[in-house]
Amino acid sequence: MFNYFLRRLLYAVPVVFGVMLLTFVLFFMVQSPRMMAKRNLGPKATPQAVENWLHNRGYDKPLFFNTSPGKSWYDSLFFNHMRSLIMFDLGDSDSTGERVSTKFKKGAVPSLLITVPAFVLGLYLSLVTSLFLAFVRKSKLDVGGVIACVVLMSVPIMVYVIVGQWLIAVQLSWLPAFGFTPSGLTTAKFLMLPVLVYVCAGLGGDVRLFRAIFLEEVHQDYVRTAQAKGASHGRVLFVHVLKNGMIALITLVVASLPFLIMGSLVIENFFGIPGLGSLTLDATRTSDFAVMRASVYLGSLLYLFGLLLTDLCYASVDPRIRFK
Amino acid sequence: MTSYFPLFLCALLFLSGCGNNPHPPPLHETRPDGTPWRVSYRGFPDDPRTLDPQVSYDTTGHAIISSIYESPLQYHPFKTDPYELMPCLLDEMPQRIKENGGRETYLFKLKKGLTFHDDPCFVASGGVGREVTAEDMAYVFKRIGDPKVECPILSTLQDYVVGLKEAYEEARKTGTFDYSKPMPGIEVIDRYSFRLRMIKPYPQILYWFAMPFTAPVPREAVEYYDGKIHKRVQREQFKFHPVGTGAFRLAEWRRKGLIRLARFDRYNATTFPTGGWPAADDVRFRPMAGKPIPFLDEIQLPIIRESIPAWLLFRQGYTDRSGVGKDIFNTVISMSQELTPEYRARGIELYKDPEPSTYFLIFNMEDPVVGKNRKLRQAISSAFDEELANSIFHNDTYLNAQQLLPPGVFGHQPKFQNPFKQHDLALARKLMIEAGYPEGRDARSGKQLELALDATVDDPESRQHAEFYRSQFETLGIKLKIVENTWSRQQEKFDTGHFQIIGYGWQADYPDPENFFFLFYSRNAAPQGNNYARYANPEFDGVFEQMRTMDDTPERLNLIYKLNDIITEDCPWVLEVHPVLFSLNQVWAPRVSSNPLLAGGSKYTNVDVELRNRKLLEWNRPILWPLWLALGAVVVAVGFGIRWNRRHDV
Repeated sequence: MFNYFLRRLLYAVPVVFGVMLLTFVLFFMVQSPRMMAKRNLGPKATPQAVENWLHNRGYDKPLFFNTSPGKSWYDSLFFNHMRSLIMFDLGDSDSTGERVSTKFKKGAVPSLLITVPAFVLGLYLSLVTSLFLAFVRKSKLDVGGVIACVVLMSVPIMVYVIVGQWLIAVQLSWLPAFGFTPSGLTTAKFLMLPVLVYVCAGLGGDVRLFRAIFLEEVHQDYVRTAQAKGASHGRVLFVHVLKNGMIALITLVVASLPFLIMGSLVIENFFGIPGLGSLTLDATRTSDFAVMRASVYLGSLLYLFGLLLTDLCYASVDPRIRFK
Repeated sequence: MTSYFPLFLCALLFLSGCGNNPHPPPLHETRPDGTPWRVSYRGFPDDPRTLDPQVSYDTTGHAIISSIYESPLQYHPFKTDPYELMPCLLDEMPQRIKENGGRETYLFKLKKGLTFHDDPCFVASGGVGREVTAEDMAYVFKRIGDPKVECPILSTLQDYVVGLKEAYEEARKTGTFDYSKPMPGIEVIDRYSFRLRMIKPYPQILYWFAMPFTAPVPREAVEYYDGKIHKRVQREQFKFHPVGTGAFRLAEWRRKGLIRLARFDRYNATTFPTGGWPAADDVRFRPMAGKPIPFLDEIQLPIIRESIPAWLLFRQGYTDRSGVGKDIFNTVISMSQELTPEYRARGIELYKDPEPSTYFLIFNMEDPVVGKNRKLRQAISSAFDEELANSIFHNDTYLNAQQLLPPGVFGHQPKFQNPFKQHDLALARKLMIEAGYPEGRDARSGKQLELALDATVDDPESRQHAEFYRSQFETLGIKLKIVENTWSRQQEKFDTGHFQIIGYGWQADYPDPENFFFLFYSRNAAPQGNNYARYANPEFDGVFEQMRTMDDTPERLNLIYKLNDIITEDCPWVLEVHPVLFSLNQVWAPRVSSNPLLAGGSKYTNVDVELRNRKLLEWNRPILWPLWLALGAVVVAVGFGIRWNRRHDV
């Protein structure tokens, strides 16, 4: 298992290097730092202000090799970019001057406050509902449930957000339509509606998928054996089928775990959650080189980590994989 | 199946303790005298990038900074046509002194007894804010010249203030700005007076003294809040920890969450104006005349970046003001441009304010086709149906621009009718013939005229706008090619001049005609300046140079009219609109100042807390029966499932 882990880890190295190169090409060659400066300083910025901005951030250095007298040949945009990413020195935000790492740290907690409960609750509700639909399979309730799932899947997340805010916050006055206060239990009041919306948006697809997995399991031999031994329908479903179905589910679920930290753009923006969901978009909007570069880099690392986790989980439950 | 019950139980428990109020509790419930603590709630579109007054150059930043910092001058809250400056930190308006050799100086006298907000940076006084002195103003100008500060108006001021350019260049060379060295442009006369020495006359300099760039900052704060670790504690950077002299101090700033301002108890720079308001508002404002300000104790500014939640909060009564975005325009505003009955019944007030800005298309005057053919430019301008554009894109709310100067700026002519902005197709066709393009075809070759318009097309509306432009050119038989650019590419084209026609807009830095006409001054040509049309007319330049340094006299007015006539005839543009801003205020928080240039108007506003509390209760009563209905539906479904499963062997 350790060898398998090591092999998978080594596969990731060239991918990470490729991402570093790609971010350099995208952020320093396709888009010029001069334009970034203009975007940050506004259209009224004078050439002098642009020069000054570039100089203060070190973006006026040569692209690959520094041939200026008294400077190291590697004091260039390329080598500085590669060094900072390898050392995880994400630098300062070009737009506000804050440490990028601080921005990530501050945003991670509110994002997780939304995504973790939504993930757990969503998984729980999806499992319970899909098992229930499998329990009443072939009934009108099952058919109705599947239709409802298709409808839920077809609705864009924006609609859930708008309807959720309008119904729950404005019409019924149960919960705030917007806001976030990081102070103990009061925080829960602000998390409930976004979590509910997050769960509803994913419920239809998950229930359909889980139901299909459970129905496949229902026709396996071990189910017939259990029934022949006199186990009740409920016990067969909630003990035997659930356990075996989880093997297929676990690989699907684990891949999404690392992304919980990145939050959700729509949910966070519309509910005022100060998380990481909109970080990349904000950085693009404000032409914040440093933050964009860091989010692309960290995003790709998380993606690789998710794939690695999935592979490891799958390998641990199915030994054939790690011996291939 | 019983697993649903704990969930609903939790939901019920939470709901019992919840409400839909989105705001954190105020700093206090009541004032020391027992009256309600006055809090104003206003949605704010985004976090400011910086709260350093010498750096911030956007409306978001200025909106906050102007409440925390104050400048030597400010705009009068009521006088907008024309706009008027008044002293803020100063005792009186600065004296303009003309010296021999054409040089000028300004004499400024600060009010006595003005203090900075209390802050730990004032170590010597145990955190109590010290008095503002003329030395602080000298320090401000040094900061403006410091390359590390990145003051955006440095390049403008260094042409006028003695010694600023030299100080900047020396600091660029040595890598550090020498703050111990006096700057010859600012001479400190005594504790409260200072003199500003000018290289050449520039009366508009006073407008910069009404902006945050010239707001005094304490040197102690800049040096204390350096973002570094001191005794294991990391201090914030100065740009995130403002220490000003304004009516409010920054009490809290949660990024992407909330900005909370609290009243500065020792504020004494200004009082409520004693006049100048419209006659119709006399009953309302007369009792406040000369009263100490601010009236509010606290301002909460939740950061709301999306228009839908911002509107929902206003509709619920949880914010005191709102803009009228496109999403909600038809819900709130009737065909007659007034409030719909539903919102009128709620007591909401609607305001319509022309912004001091002008939008237009510009022709590249160096282009061999459009730049060299005045008749062609006049024809295109005459053919544009701006009223149609206004109705399609702006709900008929914007003003059809007939001249460069927007309303409120000295020299604006309310009755001026631009001969090439009357949507006169007959005139346009006649001009096309004179231009050598009858029916849009080259008179010599018979080839259809093809022009290119560069635009940032990145959403359905901008695409629609591009299509509109195409249709307008088609009325003259001209084929218009839309060159779609990203924002960056568009900026590059402005600088390099690689365009034929391009869209542009200018929002006044200050309400002076110089700040508009300089867009066509040949020495201000791009990329160094903002004359992106590359318009060069010696006659225009001569009149402009004469006009720019004059006081607002009838002679100056004549020169402005002359400039307007020259440029109207030369037509380096297709004038479009002067935007009008629609905004709403709740019944308990009516607006005071109508001046769009006065960013720090919060100090004049007030709220009726009791009325707001009553309305909030009325508008936000929780309805619980749907929860019981949903719970019942789940119970029925589970019961049905169990029964069905027992009956059918599946």
